[in-house]
Amino acid sequence: MNSTLGLAQLIMCDRLKAGRMMVIWPLLAMFILFSSWGLSDPKVNLSFGLTIDSAYDVMYASTAFIIFSATLGAVLISFDGISRDRISGVLELKLSQPISRSKQAYSMVIGHSMAIIIPVTGLNLIAIMIIRYRLGEFPSIYEYSVYTVSTGLLLIWYTSIQLLASSYARDMGSSIAVGLGVWMTFTLLWLVMTTVVAGLMDISVTDLNSSEYIRIESIMDLFSPNGVYHHLLEMNLDGFERHISPIAPFFAAALWSVVPIELFRKKMESMHP
Amino acid sequence: MSLSDVTFRHRIRDPNSWKPWAKRDGAGIHSIDLDIYPGEILGVIGPNGAGKTTLLRVISGLFKHSGEISKSSSMRRRFIGHMPEQVRWEGRLSVVETFQMFALMHDETSVESILKTVGLSSKKDIPLDNLSQGMRQRLSLAVALLGQPLILVMDEPLNGLDPLAQRALTNLLSQLAEKGVAIIISSHQVAELANIVDRIALLHHGQLLVEGPLKSVKKSLGIKDEQADLVELICAATGIDPEDISLDLAEDSMLPFKRLEVEEE
Repeated sequence: MNSTLGLAQLIMCDRLKAGRMMVIWPLLAMFILFSSWGLSDPKVNLSFGLTIDSAYDVMYASTAFIIFSATLGAVLISFDGISRDRISGVLELKLSQPISRSKQAYSMVIGHSMAIIIPVTGLNLIAIMIIRYRLGEFPSIYEYSVYTVSTGLLLIWYTSIQLLASSYARDMGSSIAVGLGVWMTFTLLWLVMTTVVAGLMDISVTDLNSSEYIRIESIMDLFSPNGVYHHLLEMNLDGFERHISPIAPFFAAALWSVVPIELFRKKMESMHP
Repeated sequence: MSLSDVTFRHRIRDPNSWKPWAKRDGAGIHSIDLDIYPGEILGVIGPNGAGKTTLLRVISGLFKHSGEISKSSSMRRRFIGHMPEQVRWEGRLSVVETFQMFALMHDETSVESILKTVGLSSKKDIPLDNLSQGMRQRLSLAVALLGQPLILVMDEPLNGLDPLAQRALTNLLSQLAEKGVAIIISSHQVAELANIVDRIALLHHGQLLVEGPLKSVKKSLGIKDEQADLVELICAATGIDPEDISLDLAEDSMLPFKRLEVEEE
């Protein structure tokens, strides 16, 4: 366990020092801090019907920006986690070491995830200060914990998916193509896919507030990391009815936490340089 | 450690319209029998594409092969130090941080002495991006020396090193061999290699053509000239005319043995 965490720490340092962080830091700062500032304006009028009554409401509304920036950061940090080492020859050295491949896989997931979780969590703390300044209240410790853990999980899911994709890619080009493709599918295309599925099931997509549509949207969301993230956060919101079992998001979160990491571990076990 | 009938073939992509992910067998090594003795330096030689790197990777436990190797691959990874060819170390981590990462994989904590042995102690705080090729080779060597290996497997270790560093490396290898470490070394720098190897193994098209001490190999190939170098040895074993060496080493006429159903990757 010590060697896994030690390796993860060094991988995290490597990624935090990487040149791409010069792009990721400002992106995260602008998205997270500006969204907190804007959404905590008492006069704000949101188009999707959420009324901002509390600090947690602001945090929930700002997740739309987290999903754009932090998940893209996870993609940019980990899309070449394996392929870069493969191209440089370092992977051959790593695979020939006595440490088990499983430990190497776990250390990579932890190290790459932490390289994005730490900046996002730090900026979220500053965002809470902004909310306090603007709204005059802090979220409760429970609300902050739910928010931080859910955001951490979302970033771990994206990181493990990217590492898995990187382990199959033979060059940097295909690696970034797969990475951005997955990100765009879950971030931009999922709404389209949801309406297509609803249409195929003869559910009207003209009224997006109908209970039938909300139910199918909730089910579709379970198959997307972003959707599960929102499910987890919405459990803490008043007046949100998604017409699915409350256990389903937890079950989906557990699957998203286990399946990509396990697939990546198995890929590492059989990997050739 | 001994290898008996060891065979490995790469799976290479063979896409077509109906099966874009299809793969087929590619080049590799075929039915290799080889013994590795403590304290001995074994030189693996052969033309490009002969299977030298593949053989070294199989020995280091990186490929799942058919045939028998007297130790399991997980055990081999424990006591074999592997130095791949031309690792392009890059990133903002320093030399010592990178080395610590590999030391953790061995559960080893003291890293200073090995960095000193390979001449990197004065460069230990330099980021990997700023290392010269020679320094990168030294770092690869340092990683291979971690965990006090009983066998060192080195693929083209002399590449990128200046003549002084080459001599220093060959001296170090001789010292390690005297301490009982078995060394398997593949190199195209035949002049340097001939001075240090105890035995050679000559590969061509994935097959082990001849293996043994330099003198007996020369004798078995009918080379009477004591001064004959490894190039002449390769030529004699593979049927290439020394006066007519070309870069096309894949011609059937140069194959002394049966042609395998192998296509070059």
